[in-house]
Amino acid sequence: MDNSIAEEERILRVWTPILLRTILVAAIVLLLAGLIVMAWHNPGQYVARFHRLQSHTRYENRQSLAYLASTAIGGNSRSIMTLGLMVLTLVPLVRVAFCFLLFLRERDGIYVMLTAYVLIGLVVGVILGRVG
Amino acid sequence: MLILLGLLALAIGAGFIGSLSGLGGGVFIVPALLIFAHVPMSIAVGASLISVVATSAGASVAFVRDGWTNLRVAMVLECATVTGAVTGAYLAGIVPSWVLELLFAVMMLQSAYFTVTKAGDSIVPHSDALAERLRLGGRIPAESGNAEVDYGVVHLPGGAAMMVVAGLMSGLLGIGSGALKVMAMDYIMHLPLKVSSATSNFMIGVTAGAGALVFLARGDVATVIAAPVALGVTAGALVGSRLLPHVNVQALRYLFVVILVLIAVEMGWRALSGF
Repeated sequence: MDNSIAEEERILRVWTPILLRTILVAAIVLLLAGLIVMAWHNPGQYVARFHRLQSHTRYENRQSLAYLASTAIGGNSRSIMTLGLMVLTLVPLVRVAFCFLLFLRERDGIYVMLTAYVLIGLVVGVILGRVG
Repeated sequence: MLILLGLLALAIGAGFIGSLSGLGGGVFIVPALLIFAHVPMSIAVGASLISVVATSAGASVAFVRDGWTNLRVAMVLECATVTGAVTGAYLAGIVPSWVLELLFAVMMLQSAYFTVTKAGDSIVPHSDALAERLRLGGRIPAESGNAEVDYGVVHLPGGAAMMVVAGLMSGLLGIGSGALKVMAMDYIMHLPLKVSSATSNFMIGVTAGAGALVFLARGDVATVIAAPVALGVTAGALVGSRLLPHVNVQALRYLFVVILVLIAVEMGWRALSGF
């Protein structure tokens, strides 16, 4: 294995677990905080929402990030949990973006293209979800 | 409160069995949500995909750190799984529920087959030309007295084709498709079994993440269900992985097969009733 590839591999093996763990813990803290606030302050609202979900075949939960952030700061448990779920889905995105930047720095052309493809695929997913 | 505790218990159970069986929590949480919580398929799939991202992130850390995960193979094959997952998650918004339930039943039977037949390491010492060019070969870390062993990778196009299918199923059904991924890497590309499992575990995060992003952007993720499910499945998987070294998984194999076949029958029945 030549030196630059070995260095790439070493950075990936050290930093990938740190990235994964940090974002995962952040998401779990948000989800737990939201659940505890909801169960403590307004369990009735949880039950009502759950029953409404059971009776709907089509459900839509779309709020802007700005709205979620402002209501989460105000203590809205559902917004805190939604942000937690968003942070969780960022785990793979951040991990692939990190690899992309690393390969770019190492001028590893093929892997720059491959990780760019995955990143574009993830963004296309968001766009398809928005229009679909 | 009882509903919340019930959901958490379901998710912990699904994560626990998913971890012990090596099939992942998604395979068990989707039918559990449909059968016991009576929520629509799209909500069960959305919640499951997010929980799969969480368990993959948690479970893959140790394998990456210890050198079992083949990161280059993962990055190459993620191009295929993401393509499949985004397509599958988009189609999940269009395809009728009964078709998804029927597909789920088929996937359960495939997982049952995988659980029974899973065996065999047939590693190759050298990569073929394409894998060599992408530097996909790796090294099995030294373990319990055994020295490090170099291995090669072959038949990348065949493996990638299977990965598109794995991604498609993941996006459509909210599962990690670990069984298909391990089959692609172990049977087709001849990676060592433990490397295949570790690499599959790692890739599942991006595959499920791609599907989860589509569901999240479409508004198909119900926070009050997805949040306790993600927490519960992660906790169950954590307990399962801690217990794994102390449990005779071989003896439990047939119990898992019975559970998978029962789920397949129930999902098949639901599909035919909804048709």
